[in-house]
Amino acid sequence: MKYLLFCLTGLLMSLSLHAKELSGPAPDFTLTDLEGKKVRLADLKGQVVMINFWASWCGPCRQEMPLLNDIYANYKKAGFVLLGVNVDESVADAKGFLAKTPVNFPVLHDGNGKVADLYKNQAMPSSFFVDRKGNLAYLHQGYRPGEENEYKKVIKKLLAQ
Amino acid sequence: MKQAVILLMLIFSTGCSSWKPWVKPYERGNLADPVMAFDRDPVSTKYLHHVYDAREAARGADGSAGGGCGCG
Repeated sequence: MKYLLFCLTGLLMSLSLHAKELSGPAPDFTLTDLEGKKVRLADLKGQVVMINFWASWCGPCRQEMPLLNDIYANYKKAGFVLLGVNVDESVADAKGFLAKTPVNFPVLHDGNGKVADLYKNQAMPSSFFVDRKGNLAYLHQGYRPGEENEYKKVIKKLLAQ
Repeated sequence: MKQAVILLMLIFSTGCSSWKPWVKPYERGNLADPVMAFDRDPVSTKYLHHVYDAREAARGADGSAGGGCGCG
């Protein structure tokens, strides 16, 4: 009984955790951005990469978009790249949203969810942080106001490595 | 009977590992479409529901959280 309770508590704790430490090489992918330019993750080795899965129908994703833009502007020069991976089925939805909320970081289109599948994406939005060596370092699931500070903390830590 | 049980067990052991019609978090575009909402204007619905509750003395008796005790 005690063991069961322990397990249950553990399970609940793991569910409530929004940030996870990851390890191992980040799965490589190539996607085209909204301008038609191909972007490959392996080419960004040596830089800290944040892969943010988002969609125009996802409320929290829309909320964090301008904040992500600020983060990108702040850390770009220090060797930080933000890849917004859009999983909208039609590109027009993404473009419509970005027309109202413009961002400066590259937005890649993953209409059939192949890359989201590759990363075993469990929540929207999800942000994967890749260190300079091309290894996965952190995963942040979901977004609530104020959590952009956690992004900044992680990015600073990875940039210092 | 025995065969049926074995067949069921086979289905259970293999079927769940690759359960296909499972909507992944990044595939919920259609579910998140406004067309899928119960009401067009949630704020107005909430207000009308409050009016209904007050007028009919029906607070908590029509499916709100907490059951029919009126304390939810």
